[in-house]
Amino acid sequence: MIRLRGVSYAYPDTANYVLADLDLSVGQGEVVGVVGASGAGKTTLAKIIAGFIPSIEGGVLSGDIDVNGVAISSLTLSEAVAQVGLVIQNPFNQISGAKFTVLEEIAFGLENTGVPREEIAERVQAVAKQLRVDHLLDRSPYALSGGQMQLVAIASMVVMRTPVLVMDEPTSQLDPGGSRMVFDIISQLTDLGTTVLIFEHKIELLREHADRVAVLADGRITAEGAPRAILSDPRLEKWAIGTTRYTRAGLAARDTGLAPVTGELPVSMPDAVEFFGPSGKH
Amino acid sequence: MTTTFYVDRPSPIHRLNPVTKLVAMLSIIVIVFAIQLWWVAALVVLVVVVPAAVISGTGGRLLSLALKLLLPILIVLVLIQGLFFPEGTTVLAQWGPARVTVEGLLFALGIGSRITALVLCSLLLLITTNPASLMTSLSKNGMSPKMSYVISSTLQIIPAFQTRAESILLAQQARGLKLRGNPIRRIRALLPLISPLILGMFTDVEERSTAMEARGFSSTATHTSLMIVPDSVVQRVARWVFVALAVASVVLSFSGLLS
Repeated sequence: MIRLRGVSYAYPDTANYVLADLDLSVGQGEVVGVVGASGAGKTTLAKIIAGFIPSIEGGVLSGDIDVNGVAISSLTLSEAVAQVGLVIQNPFNQISGAKFTVLEEIAFGLENTGVPREEIAERVQAVAKQLRVDHLLDRSPYALSGGQMQLVAIASMVVMRTPVLVMDEPTSQLDPGGSRMVFDIISQLTDLGTTVLIFEHKIELLREHADRVAVLADGRITAEGAPRAILSDPRLEKWAIGTTRYTRAGLAARDTGLAPVTGELPVSMPDAVEFFGPSGKH
Repeated sequence: MTTTFYVDRPSPIHRLNPVTKLVAMLSIIVIVFAIQLWWVAALVVLVVVVPAAVISGTGGRLLSLALKLLLPILIVLVLIQGLFFPEGTTVLAQWGPARVTVEGLLFALGIGSRITALVLCSLLLLITTNPASLMTSLSKNGMSPKMSYVISSTLQIIPAFQTRAESILLAQQARGLKLRGNPIRRIRALLPLISPLILGMFTDVEERSTAMEARGFSSTATHTSLMIVPDSVVQRVARWVFVALAVASVVLSFSGLLS
């Protein structure tokens, strides 16, 4: 469970607050997606929840940040990372750079935290199969494509089995199939009780898989609610996040009088089928 | 992309504990440099390196790498010491100031045989030892995980640098950078590469350290290892024997008994 209340943050040597009086909650076993324009503070927020800000990067942080009922500021970094797993945006930097095979790379975190060898082998194989990178286990992490590297980076974090997982654009280098697979795994993790906060640009996937969606703009959460209601909100254009083609088509249909002005606009293909199709209302 | 010299083969040399090989290599280097007799180095190559290379099935790779490394060194050594050795008195041939002397050739042979033994032993270790198992066994023998990380990541950093440099070069060529022409022009064309390469690596280091911490790098738990590195009593004894031989060679050398 994640609970943020009145969180404000300014990087060192600057008076500008990246985040200002931000509130956000994610329940246990819930998937909450956060959308925001580039530079909105998504990565900063991810690092705050994972305990890296201010302990590593410094700056001025205020407000309450609780993870599973414990203030993250009261934990050492080692304790914090045992609670919150962080998948960073660039998979090239998620890999350790010190391991010679994908197998060893995925095992790295488990070795660091003293997990017994037999259990490491079991968990690495399981997660590699889950993310369909088991055929890459003998390859060098540097010999992978961007998409493969991203899957290995995600595997290396999922294998840690932290109760909370924060993912910063985890599908940025993945094809549609790979992206869907990542969200399927997120669903499996939440079924087991993992709390997931995901920063993502792929709105249609969030519509399909997130329990709730929040909008990060102007340093705070400006909208929050059910995925379809939030992701079809025309204000997303104003916040430089953008809407899907289905939402824009729905809006155009409304403007031309082809659809009534009330009701939720579509975000994804199934929404559009319902919105425009013969079984739909319009 | 190949990041190391390692060649995987199912040989008994490959199966030896990496620390045994490391200790053997370091001891042999100490011995051949302590005992200043060229035939000791030659004997080491014939009795240790050649059989080990044949048994491990890596003779070809060892030979090709050794030639690339050693040929330039040995040629320069023979040219300088063989032709211009100042203390040479037994002249075999002379062209102006250049004199081929027996003493010069013997000096070149002494240095050359030791450098050859050093390079061959080091290469054989690198070719027959999986770097990951070397790091694991060093950690098990007391090296800190952070030191192990520094060594491993240094081995990996070159291909990472290459990949980044290639993509920066491609991006700059796409914007009109010309890489053809004389060598000076080529070097000047490479200057714009340096700043994005170095700055990019600094940014990477910062982000990677975050990712490493997220995976418990600073955890105070006793680190475990997925990899099993075989060891035995015989090998442990052998390691001490190698150390003892190295120490003995140094003692004998200082005592003047071998000169």
